[in-house]
Amino acid sequence: MSAEPQTASQVTPRRRSPWRERFREDWLVFSRNPLGRAGLVLLSVFGVMALLSFLPPLIDPMYHPMTGVDPQVLYSEGPSVRHWLGTDFMGRDILSQLLAGTRVAFMVGVSAAFMSIVLGVSIGMVAGYAGGVLDTLLMRLAEIIMVLPTLLVVLMLSALFGKLNIWTIVLLIALFRWPGVSRVIRAQTLSLKSRPFIDAARVAGASHARIVFRHIMPNVLPLAFLYMTFRVTAAIVIEAALAFLGFGDPSTVSWGMMLQWVWKTGHMFQAPYWLFPPGLCISLITLSFYLLGRAMDEVLDPRLREENGTV
Amino acid sequence: MDHPPQPATILELRGIGKQYRSKGRARQGGGQTVVALNNVTLDFRAGEIFGLVGESGSGKTTCGRLIVGLEKADQGELLLEGRSYGTLKGESLREYRRQVQIIFQDPYQSLNPQLSILDSVAEPLVTNRVGDNKERLEKVLTTLKAVGLSPPEDYAFRFPHQLSGGQRQRVAIARAMILGPKVLVADEPTSMLDASYSAQIFDILLEVRQRLATTIILITHSLAAARYLCDRIAVIYRGNLMETGPADAVISDPRHPYTQALIDATPKFGDCGPIKRYGTLVSPERPASGSAGCAFFRRCGLAHLGRCARQAPELTPLTLGHLVACHYASQTPVPETGQACRLGGM
Repeated sequence: MSAEPQTASQVTPRRRSPWRERFREDWLVFSRNPLGRAGLVLLSVFGVMALLSFLPPLIDPMYHPMTGVDPQVLYSEGPSVRHWLGTDFMGRDILSQLLAGTRVAFMVGVSAAFMSIVLGVSIGMVAGYAGGVLDTLLMRLAEIIMVLPTLLVVLMLSALFGKLNIWTIVLLIALFRWPGVSRVIRAQTLSLKSRPFIDAARVAGASHARIVFRHIMPNVLPLAFLYMTFRVTAAIVIEAALAFLGFGDPSTVSWGMMLQWVWKTGHMFQAPYWLFPPGLCISLITLSFYLLGRAMDEVLDPRLREENGTV
Repeated sequence: MDHPPQPATILELRGIGKQYRSKGRARQGGGQTVVALNNVTLDFRAGEIFGLVGESGSGKTTCGRLIVGLEKADQGELLLEGRSYGTLKGESLREYRRQVQIIFQDPYQSLNPQLSILDSVAEPLVTNRVGDNKERLEKVLTTLKAVGLSPPEDYAFRFPHQLSGGQRQRVAIARAMILGPKVLVADEPTSMLDASYSAQIFDILLEVRQRLATTIILITHSLAAARYLCDRIAVIYRGNLMETGPADAVISDPRHPYTQALIDATPKFGDCGPIKRYGTLVSPERPASGSAGCAFFRRCGLAHLGRCARQAPELTPLTLGHLVACHYASQTPVPETGQACRLGGM
């Protein structure tokens, strides 16, 4: 097949994966964006925190975020060498709670966002591609869900069913957060549908399912990933709000849960070392995902790039 | 006179009609019917290159899309090797498309930007369950080589944005050819390319015809390209067939005023003696004749105000295989200069 491999590889680097090449180009754009860099740095800090969350209980059982009680501490204490960020009202270590909360925030944020993206992308693509009655039905459903106040409905559900499991909360967030995604994906699908390469796929004999998943989906996925970062933010905030209002999963330590404990035990204005860490963390992780999304936006939409930008 | 044996008809259009209805309410200009094709009857012979010529909006692209089943005809039927494919659906449609493929006009739009060249070209093999992965790769590579993309290994793993327009059009040809179709519709395959690429694409089409005996239906607005490539051509205006016949006959001795106007409009170059002009266009246009009259009535300089406005002419044979839809086909002007001019602008 390749008679003179040397000359061939001189002309063009052979079989260099275009995916990798594209990733490299995109990374260049991304890394030049100060917002994106800030977001990434912040996010990696949180990532390290989430990884470290497994450590404290291994050092000493009293550092367990949920059940570990320091026998020497009878009420909430400020930072010390023994407890870097202090303890809560019954002597549990705040730092280890904060770390565990990071893990929960990632878990809730990423899984809820992922589920809502999967739902939103599939419904959006089907509605846009099918058109007609199916499109109308799905989009009206999306609008109905979109105008429901998520927090209120989830509060009512949890009042109905008692305490909600953390995964139930994740599922509910996903169920209420797909419509925005699906509208965007539907619009994108509508414009893709009339492009000649879709006609070409039809002539090539591709079935409708194949056209949607093989030919349209790769073209909407970048947009879906962008939306995912914004959805992560929304999911974390909703979970925190639920937990703070007392409707969280009582067996999980989340930042919202910590805030609720501060509030419930009346330490709101007495123990800043207890109040500030979870509050700040919620704000910062939200910010970091938002910054990441903005930078990705620029990667995906070349029009947003600055004049002297690369590529 | 003895004629070479007539090659068998491979694809036949019988009285094909297609109308589009504009959307919206009548008050907002909606609900109006636009005739894209009107009672088109054509036959394509095995192994020939057939040119479908007309101006923008004449319905030639609609005709091509109908032939590959991207549009459905409102009237008439489509016969491939004598079998009617009137209502194409599911498996029979897939079966039909194994035989009839298309190359689109814009190579920048007709390749999926997210699929590699290999995946794009192999798509017909995958959907028709031909071979396993290894055989498909092999087949894609040989097909790419056949359309002049060599070494094929260099191109197969690239993405469309890494190729030029001409290279993309070759990829599109490879995708259309990979199943070895009997009929290939080429919808203005060179209109988005510059002249040097156009000639290369035409050469590839000629070679494909020679190697695989594929019937090629070339849709074009350029009479020069049609003359260069085609055995027979049909001139189409507002969805109506105006004139059809052997390419040389139609271009050097056009009998329909519209064909003559098209030839007048073609840029000419080089030393070709006194330029002949038919001058069959009337300007300003006349008011419309109503649906009963000749489609070309509004712009025809020869039209008889009575007859042409009321009665649409039928396609009638003038000489063998040369059909003209004009009441006055035998009276249309003949240029005095004997030698036909070279057509430029290809």
